[in-house]
Amino acid sequence: MADQHTFDPYKTWQTYMLQWEKQTNEMIQSWTNNREAVKIASISSDIQARFLEMLQKNQQEAANLLNLPTKKDITNSAKLTIQTEEKLDALEELIWNLQDSIEASKNENSSIAKITSEMLKQMKQLKTEQKKESETVREIFSGLQEIKRELAVMNSLNEEIVSLKLLMAESTQKHERELVLTK
Amino acid sequence: MASTIIDIEKEVERWREFVNSVNGPEPSTNHIPRKAIWKKNKATLWHYAAVEKKYDIPVFMIYSLFNKPTILDFAPGSSVIEGLVNMGYDVYLLDWGIAGDEDKDINIEDYIAVYIKKAVQRALRHSGAEEVSVIGYCLGGTFAAMYAAIAEEPIRNLIVATVPIDFSVAALPDQWEEGLKDGEFNLDRIIDVFGVIPPSYVEAMFRSVTSPIYNSPYVTLLTRANDKRFVEKWRRMNTWTKGHVPLTGGAFRQLTIDLFKENKLVKGEFTIHGQKVDLANIKANLLVVSSKNDNLIPEGQSKPLMDLVSSKDKTYLSVDAGHVSLAMTGKLNGILEKWLGSHSK
Repeated sequence: MADQHTFDPYKTWQTYMLQWEKQTNEMIQSWTNNREAVKIASISSDIQARFLEMLQKNQQEAANLLNLPTKKDITNSAKLTIQTEEKLDALEELIWNLQDSIEASKNENSSIAKITSEMLKQMKQLKTEQKKESETVREIFSGLQEIKRELAVMNSLNEEIVSLKLLMAESTQKHERELVLTK
Repeated sequence: MASTIIDIEKEVERWREFVNSVNGPEPSTNHIPRKAIWKKNKATLWHYAAVEKKYDIPVFMIYSLFNKPTILDFAPGSSVIEGLVNMGYDVYLLDWGIAGDEDKDINIEDYIAVYIKKAVQRALRHSGAEEVSVIGYCLGGTFAAMYAAIAEEPIRNLIVATVPIDFSVAALPDQWEEGLKDGEFNLDRIIDVFGVIPPSYVEAMFRSVTSPIYNSPYVTLLTRANDKRFVEKWRRMNTWTKGHVPLTGGAFRQLTIDLFKENKLVKGEFTIHGQKVDLANIKANLLVVSSKNDNLIPEGQSKPLMDLVSSKDKTYLSVDAGHVSLAMTGKLNGILEKWLGSHSK
């Protein structure tokens, strides 16, 4: 059995209306697409502007006489609020900049502290090394002292040997002279 | 057996749904958990945390000035932001809020130098990231490009979708365009009177460009009023479409004179607080996405950006979508998943 579509009068109406709207809009645009229409629009906008200007002026004057605040007064006070908000925003940004620079100097400080602790560490190491070296120097010094003492002993020994040698030479000479005399 | 031509019960239900949808309360918005991390005047910087963080580079989103950015978190399952947080990105959204009379002098330069720039700095500080990806949608894309051209903050990727850059290509009827450009139709006086352009005027402006008669959504709603899922989606879309926000006079004046009339951005003559906006300064990886069926921002308005930047890595994509459906249907998410994923490592 062939598909049977129920007749929908709304669909037909919709198709007709869409077509009508499209054609009417095109017609309006073609009617108004000329300099006369532009001139009419310009004049009517000007008339409307003049009328509104007059209305606003009268309203302002009446409100002044009645000592009532006008839209202009409310606008002015709203502008003050906006200015305050802008100042607060600027302050917030300044605080941010300050925060950023504090953060940056904090980072700098921590890096300085790091360097200082490193230096201290190195100094400690140097100190320990120096201690070790001074012990070695002390050892060398005491060794030298001993050598010096030994040298002094050797020197006195040398002197004794020399004096002994002299004594021996003297006794040899004396002995030889005695031999000559006895001959 | 006799059958009735009209199902009375169904028709009652249809009309009941229609009336409820048109007059009922607004559907819920902002489905993804978020936290406000900065507020300036009416603007709020929202943070949407990644479900499971995979990328170190957060995404910063800028939306247009004409509507609410809720379109970027349209509904569960069809939300650009939801897609990004699920992919593993931290998302920051700059919501412009609703301008009051006291904001009438805020212009495009202020929005970029005072709001976007500061918000990106806040997002970078909050995330602790070293770089950021900026996504701009519609006029938010124009702002993103302008910001990227003067930014001192590190931008890794710049993504703009349905973005107007070259305003010499207009979506307006040619005589209107000429009238606005030669000063025949001068908006200065009306801007001065209003100070802040009311949402009804913003809506009327868009309607006159796209479709002055706009009944089709209601016709479609009545036709499909028995389809619960469609009705839900329609309500969300209708709320967003009708949710135009006031536009500051300062921004509207710069938009019409500096951008639309004099096309200063493309010519390199646009300045932000004295600083020249040279799009050639953009070196970030660039992705430009255009919609083929966009009747508000034609492709010709977006494409010139490709030749104006100095980015070595740049991609242009033309997608089969409309101005809004690009974000709503998940097509943008599909593109972001591939492109941003490979550019955020």
